Amino acid sequence: MSFMDFTDLRYEKRTLGGKILPVVVCPRFNPRSQPMRVFDAVKGLLQGMRLTLGYLLSPSKIVTQQYPENRATLKFPERYRAILKFKYDENGLHKCTGCKNCEVACPNASIKVITRDSVITEDHELDRYIWRLDSCMFCNACVQACPFDAIEMGHAFENAVYDRRLLIYGLNPIAGPAASALENEEDPEVRRRMSDPRTILGGPIPLNGAGLPNLKPVAAAPFVDPLPIAVTDPLPPEDGEGEEVS
Amino acid sequence: MTVTIRTLNELLQPSHLPAHPLATQEYFVNMGPQHPISHGSLRLVLRLDGETVKEVIPVPGFVHRGVEKMCESLTPRQIVPYTDRLDYLSAFMNNWAITRVVETAAGIESNERIETIRTLMSELQRIQSHALWWGVTGMDLGAFTAFLYGFREREVISEIFEETVGARLTMNYIQPGGVMYDIHPNFVKRVKDVMAYMKPIIDEYDTLLSGNVILQERCRNIGILSPEKAIALGCTGPVLRASGVPYDLRKMENYGVYNKVDFNVVVGAVGDCWDRYYVRMQEMRESIRIVEQLIDSIPEGPTMTLRYNLPIEMPEGTYYSQVETARGVFGAFLVAEGKSEKPYPLHFRSPNYNNLWSVTALAPGWRVADIIAILSSLDLVIPDIDR
Repeated sequence: MSFMDFTDLRYEKRTLGGKILPVVVCPRFNPRSQPMRVFDAVKGLLQGMRLTLGYLLSPSKIVTQQYPENRATLKFPERYRAILKFKYDENGLHKCTGCKNCEVACPNASIKVITRDSVITEDHELDRYIWRLDSCMFCNACVQACPFDAIEMGHAFENAVYDRRLLIYGLNPIAGPAASALENEEDPEVRRRMSDPRTILGGPIPLNGAGLPNLKPVAAAPFVDPLPIAVTDPLPPEDGEGEEVS
Repeated sequence: MTVTIRTLNELLQPSHLPAHPLATQEYFVNMGPQHPISHGSLRLVLRLDGETVKEVIPVPGFVHRGVEKMCESLTPRQIVPYTDRLDYLSAFMNNWAITRVVETAAGIESNERIETIRTLMSELQRIQSHALWWGVTGMDLGAFTAFLYGFREREVISEIFEETVGARLTMNYIQPGGVMYDIHPNFVKRVKDVMAYMKPIIDEYDTLLSGNVILQERCRNIGILSPEKAIALGCTGPVLRASGVPYDLRKMENYGVYNKVDFNVVVGAVGDCWDRYYVRMQEMRESIRIVEQLIDSIPEGPTMTLRYNLPIEMPEGTYYSQVETARGVFGAFLVAEGKSEKPYPLHFRSPNYNNLWSVTALAPGWRVADIIAILSSLDLVIPDIDR
């Protein structure tokens, strides 16, 4: 038997706590006498070197990915969890009803849902959906808690910015009722008045980044175009736009 | 029995003057908190006489986040992602520990499919964790090549997790009542491919590093931990098994579907660094056996038995559950008040904390360079110690 024989495993039964357990004992070879020992040492080193040399000579086995050069071809699994974003229907309308289940489910209060009463129907509806990327730990609890399938974890993972205020997002581009409620309204003019536009960094959010000059979030939640029924007027001045509330 | 408690200040008093003019004076050296071997922030104060270690004083606490205190204000579902952040290389097993204690307390029934998926994921992660440990050990002992090889296999298994779970490190997958998602349609095929790929790879690890004379010389008969001492210190996992005690919760408690699979408990003969090294190498092979036995026969059934938004009601009482992670026994002790679903209090029994203190018994008498081999063979994850 050679010095380094890793198949020299001893199978036996041992009793512990009244149970008979199948046990395998690790190989333990004793070093041989001095001249053979030198031979074994050199052999062990050469074996390792031969292995690495084999990889050097067959580059097809190398698995290194050339990130970030391969950005264009990066593929993400469908369930990959990165930034939180809204789901939209074919008209670009969100499904959020402002029920705050996600806010309750969030383990570290990264989500704040601000609701309002609709100016038309006086129903409870979404005003701002604020998500703090800086404290989010991507646990998926909000997505699991959502009974309306309104949010999902997107795949954008390069979220570094130069100012942490830019990491607090308003996720909804349109404040207003969910698509299901909006569809009940027939009159296009009323439907238009039911929704207001919202900006990603605006609003009376503590530490929000709307007032920062020349800085834009890197991985902004993708905003769909406001739709036939949504607002196309110039933006009305938002409450506390650019104002920093601490 | 008397217990003497000495503060760190007392322990670090200037050492005595040499008794003999030719004797050397003892001195202290801080190893860490920023040291490559600590794999995080762990401070070890070494009392040295020349190159010989007289005493090791571990000073944990640099990554203390108060997770247990935080958990007192969280619901059971919200606690699960926090356990990912303790021993991040055993995230599935940590999830499982808190899930088991909540399921025991609330009387939630699980089914065969859920248990099989949980077992499969845990074993895959055990292979992944040991592969990473192997690479890091190689790097600690001076073989940087091993580090790259270990990460290569870790990546392969990470991709399986990424597909089914959506995350690579902080899983939050095993939850009270089931698992977050059903397995991905590609899961079975991918796992089979990876297991077929992993088997020769572990032999390759042996060729590359185990047979290396430098590793052999630095590990064999260094830092021998006797079985009595290991039990007295509360060591678990590969550290305890390397000392020859075949204590494995997968056999002793029969949670999951471990009673249905055939595998061996890997033990060491002496309890030195080499045994701790090779126990993990062999455990990877045993884990591959477990995965291969389970992967073809995942039963049908629902993967989540609870509605997500309903509170989990736990009757008043104290509950404890534990699982075998890649590093040892991870337990969760929960006191339910019965009034709300939040626990008061929750305590984690983490394997690394106890394994860390075995260094105080192992190190004295060895040289500074041997501390590297000893600590590396303990496979510590610092956030799990500090919690």
